[in-house]
This record gives sequence, structure tokens and C-alpha cells, in this order.
Amino acid sequence: MTDSAFNRRTFLTLSGGAALAAGLSACTGGGASDAPTNTGSKELRLFTYEDNSTIDLLKAQIKQFDTQNGTTTTVDSLPGSGAAVYPDKLRTELLGGTGPDVWRIWGGQIGAPFVKAKQAMDLSAYYDKYGWASKLNPAAVSGMTFEGLKGGLPYIALGIGAWYNKAAFAKAGVTAPPTSYEELEEANARILASGVTPLGTAGKYGWHVMRLYEYLLEVSAGPELHDKLLTGAESWDRPEVVTAFTNFKKWQDQKWIPEGAIGLDPADVELWYVQGKTAYTITGPWTEAQGIQAGGKKSADFGVFPFPTGHEPARHSGFVEGYMINAKAGNPDMAAALLDFLIKPETQKAMNITASIVAGAEPDQATLPLSYEWSQGSGKQPFYTIQDQAFPKKQADQYFAIQSDVLQGKTNPAEAAKQMQVVIKGWQK
Amino acid sequence: MITGRTRHGSGLVAWAFAAPALLAYFLFLVYPAMSSLWFSFTDWDGLSATYNVVGLDNYTNMPNDPVVIQAAINNLIWAVVTVVVPVVLGLALAVALNGKVRGKPILRLLFYTPAVLPLVAVASIWGWLYNPQYGAINAFLRAIGLDSLAQPWLGQDSTALGATMVAAIWLRVGFPMLLYLAALQGISQELYEAATVDGAGRWQQFWHITMPGLRPAHYVVIALSVIDSFKVFDLIYAMTYGGPGTATQVMGTWMYFNVFQYNQAGYGTAIAVVITVVAVAVSIPYVRSQTKEHAA
Repeated sequence: MTDSAFNRRTFLTLSGGAALAAGLSACTGGGASDAPTNTGSKELRLFTYEDNSTIDLLKAQIKQFDTQNGTTTTVDSLPGSGAAVYPDKLRTELLGGTGPDVWRIWGGQIGAPFVKAKQAMDLSAYYDKYGWASKLNPAAVSGMTFEGLKGGLPYIALGIGAWYNKAAFAKAGVTAPPTSYEELEEANARILASGVTPLGTAGKYGWHVMRLYEYLLEVSAGPELHDKLLTGAESWDRPEVVTAFTNFKKWQDQKWIPEGAIGLDPADVELWYVQGKTAYTITGPWTEAQGIQAGGKKSADFGVFPFPTGHEPARHSGFVEGYMINAKAGNPDMAAALLDFLIKPETQKAMNITASIVAGAEPDQATLPLSYEWSQGSGKQPFYTIQDQAFPKKQADQYFAIQSDVLQGKTNPAEAAKQMQVVIKGWQK
Repeated sequence: MITGRTRHGSGLVAWAFAAPALLAYFLFLVYPAMSSLWFSFTDWDGLSATYNVVGLDNYTNMPNDPVVIQAAINNLIWAVVTVVVPVVLGLALAVALNGKVRGKPILRLLFYTPAVLPLVAVASIWGWLYNPQYGAINAFLRAIGLDSLAQPWLGQDSTALGATMVAAIWLRVGFPMLLYLAALQGISQELYEAATVDGAGRWQQFWHITMPGLRPAHYVVIALSVIDSFKVFDLIYAMTYGGPGTATQVMGTWMYFNVFQYNQAGYGTAIAVVITVVAVAVSIPYVRSQTKEHAA
């Protein structure tokens, strides 16, 4: 903090109304309150974004934890909000001074601001106490580690693959999932010729169409260069990036993605493959329970395969979700105990977690055969960070804007690569 | 005879009655507004407990932000289109419905209904209508052989803002219509009868009787519509999320993105201050007209 730095209390004191204004901070959404969020040592509040298919399973497990520990835990959920909305609601709650004790959050650059602002607690002591690092997938732990600080506990790691409608593939004469990028393009052409849009994706919020572009970048750049691009260690103004943008435009021009995809809502489009309007989508294992089965369909009529990259290791994009503890939690020890409970294999199994990072908590093969198949195959492969977690929100939005311009023909691929380098340089300043 | 003491006493009583409302006003409007003004001079990220004072940096940086320029232009286009079109249509509908029309109550209800619908529902409805592949608008165009006019309405920069404004117009026609209808009831029929006797046609009656008679209503309708147009946020946010890219960003959404998503609360609140100043500036004629009328 510099000499000219203020904190909220200083400002309020100077404005001559510290006591009154401290009480008003909840009304104004001003700076963080100094008051603990929870003075009741046995009361916790958990904030999440579970939807109707999973919230009751979570609540049942929380109830069990409460019974064991004599606690009362309130569970609040903002279902279906996604990374575009949920963090805003969480931020508003925290600014109001009454934030949750524990909250679920995405890793990478979505969770980072809460750690940077010291709203989330450093969990290093609890990692040691519970031995979390030895129980969990190291890649997932790194997704919840921010500049060396363990700001969150990973809960699941989700890999993105191609989830397809077998009938649509069969109708198009695609007899097996493609194993190379060339085969994938060939399959797209066949599927389109059969009267079905191949890939169901949408870009209203940027992050869904982004999954296609990041895959194309993995194909053209390969794992090592791709990782360097994401950290800014290599310039984006290079042929591999231009190739990825060129292919990206090609997917739209060839009508391999829905018309006007960039303006469509992913919530509407992602499940078109279940209805047969598209042949496949680019998503994670949650789609089996929340898409296929929730739509009254059988898993046997669908399949999943990794997008072929032609590189070793054969990576897919993926992201981590986890929990953070409020730095002002009234009872951080109890909050940590709750997190430890949530990552126990039996708890995860009871919640039908399809992408557990805990050994012994794989999806149930009988009820979620496709998720199980993914977890035993591609799910074991390394993943690269999904790009709305790789970049801070502002840079991610600039990135999506460039992608949007490429798809609309307003920017050519070579210019897009140059513009992206400018974005990355701006971020690194 | 009223003594000074009595006047003083009644003044205190008046203040006592006004106090609760004043207190609420200061707590929930003045204090937050002043806080926002203060934060616009800081680099607060919106989450941290500390921040630095940066003076006018947030304001001087605005002209260098291409999205602010784009948002300001979009706001201006939005303000003109979504004020002029609904007001003109609302006036036309009010005049039409003020005459002898069958099913008048049903028609009024029909035209006013969009104004009471939740905005998120409106955004969803229009989002479906605009769907490039399955939406009713493109389906209709294709059905009548105008395939070439079928567009990804919300998926390209060239049409996204216009498409959103159509939804806004549909939403906002009912409000001026209702106010004008109420004002039309206040114009004496005798004036029209006298004008008819004098040989004035319908158009002349409209210009020389109806329009002057609606002057107070014009102030209210236009001022509130203009203020409303500068505050636009929800419809854009729900329909396009400011996209594609940043094509439909307006000052309200750009303020929101900066405060709540980019951890630039200082800069975002500076944008909010600018929006407020503009909205206040355009509402001054309305306030002055109301003050004059009250004084008269």
C-alpha cells in the first residue's frame, strides 16, 4: 500500500460518519467490511451454482456433515448462471459484508480475483492438516493455486470432449469417431450432407465457441507452444495461430457450426445434439446426467470421443472447479472440515460427481457409462486450461471479440493473430 | 394572526413528517451516489479493502477506451431511435384509440402488455424469434421467398443493435400511448366542434388543437423516455451480452462489465457518473417546465 493509499475506514472517518457508514456498506456495495461474516461458531453458509439435478444430492451430504459435527449449514445456489453471472453475484455478496463462509468457484483467472483481493483465505495450513495435496490430482491443485498461494480446494476437474448422437453419425455414414483432424473434417462434411449441422456450439458469452478455437489452436500449435501462448511466453503473431484462426473461419463458412453461432445462447444450443438438431457438441461429462438423461434419453444412444489433435500427449481442454473459504469466515476450521468432507470418495460418489479428482470416486459405470468411459480414457490424459480460465475476464472478452470479428469476416486470420498479441502484451504490463 | 413562533413550530412539524423519507433518501440514494463519486477518483478493484486515489485518471482515460466511444455512439443511436419511434407510434396509437374504435379496451391492453412483461422474458422471446435457423422471423422470410433477407440477426455487428432496438420499441410503445391517452381525455371536445364549424380539417385540428393540448404530456413522455434510454442496460445484457464482440455495448453495460467483471470498479463508477451527468442534463428542460407550471 502506498502512502496515498486509503482504506475504506480511513475514507469514512474522514467523511465524518464512520459508525453510520459502516452500517451502510451493505447498501452501497462499497469496500469490504471488517466484520466477520459469521460469528456463530456452529453456523456455516455455502454458496454454489448446482442445478436442480444435483442440488438435493449436495444438500443431503451437507445434512450428514451437520449431523456429524453439530453444525447448521445453509446452502444457497444460483443454478444455471454459469461463469458469466455467478462470480458477480458472489462479489456483490462479499462487498455487502455478508458473504458466504464457503463458496464454489472455477479455477484459473475466474477464481484468482477473490484470492488477489484477499477475500478468499490461504488454505495452505489446511492442505497440511488434511493432507489434501496427496489425495488430489496435482494438475487440479495447480488450478486452484494462485501465484503460489493455495486459495482454493479443487473439487472436480472437467475435461472437454465431443459428445455425439450415434443416430446422427450413422445417418451420415460416419461409422466410428474420427481419430485425426482430417477425419473430423471429413465427418463434418458427411454429417452436413445428411442435413444435420455437425457441431452444436454458440458464442453469446464467448466461452462456448472458444472451446472450438482452443482445440484448433492445440491442433496447429501443439501442446508445448500452446502452453507458452497461454502464458504469453511466445508471441501470438505466428503462423500456427493464423492457421487456427483460418480453420476457425472455415468451420463457420462450411456451415459446420450453427448459422449465426456467435450470437446464440450456449444454453439453447449445447443440447441440440440430444435432440438430433446437431450431431455432436463440445462439452464436459456433466452433459450425460444433465443433458442426455435429463432429456429422457438413453446413454447407449450417445457416445463420447476426444477431439483428435495429432499430437502426443493427446490433450483436451479442461478446467478445475473447487471451493474457497471466506477470509472472514466465523469458523474457518469448521469450513475446512466441510471441504474435507466434500472431497471424500464416499461423499463424491453419493453426489454422482462425474469428474472427480479424488481416487476411488470415479463415476458409477452402471448409471453414467459415458462419464465412466471418459474418466477411464481421455479423462486420464493431461489437459490444457480452458481459455476463459487462462486469461483474466477482460482479456478473455477481448479474445472473444477478435474471434467474433474473424467469424464475421471483419478481421482476417493474420490480423487476428496480431491483435491477439496486442491483447496479451496489454495483460502482461 | 399567525405568530413567528407558530410558523416556526409548524415548520418543525413539517420537517418531522419529512424526516423519515429524507433519511431514506439520504441513506439509499445520496450516500451511495456520493460513495460512487468518490470511488470514481480511485483505482478500487471492487473487491479489495484498499485502493489508491488516482484523481481524474479514470475520466481522462475514457476517450482512449475504444469501447467507451463505441458505447457512447450506441447510446446516442439507442436514445434517438428508442425515443422517437415509440413516442411517435405511441401518439399515433393514442389518437387512434381515442376515437370510436371497436374493441378499444382490448387493443389498449394489447399494446400496453409488453411494457409490463419482465425484461428477461422479453429478451428470451426475441432471442427465439431472431434465432437464425429456427426463429419465426427467418422462417417467415423464407416462407415468402425472401431467403436472402434471412439473417443471423443477433450474430453479426451490422444487425445486432438494430435487432435489439426493435425489441425495445415493441416494449416501449405502450408507455407513451397510455400517457397520451390520458392527456387526450383532458382536451375539451368543444374545441374540436368549434374547429369543425370553422372548416378545419382533421390534420389542422391535430396540429392546432391536439398537439398544443398534449404539450405537458410531451414533456413527461419525452423526458422520461430520454432518461430511460440513457439508462439502458437490461435488454442489451440479456439479449446480446454486449456482443457480438463489443458491437452492442452501451454505457450501462460497459460500466457493469468494468465494475463487476473486470475488477475496475473505479473506472466503472466513473462511467456511471458520466451516464448520470448526461441523464441529468437532458432532464433539465423537463424539470424546469414542471417547476414553471407549478409556479404558475
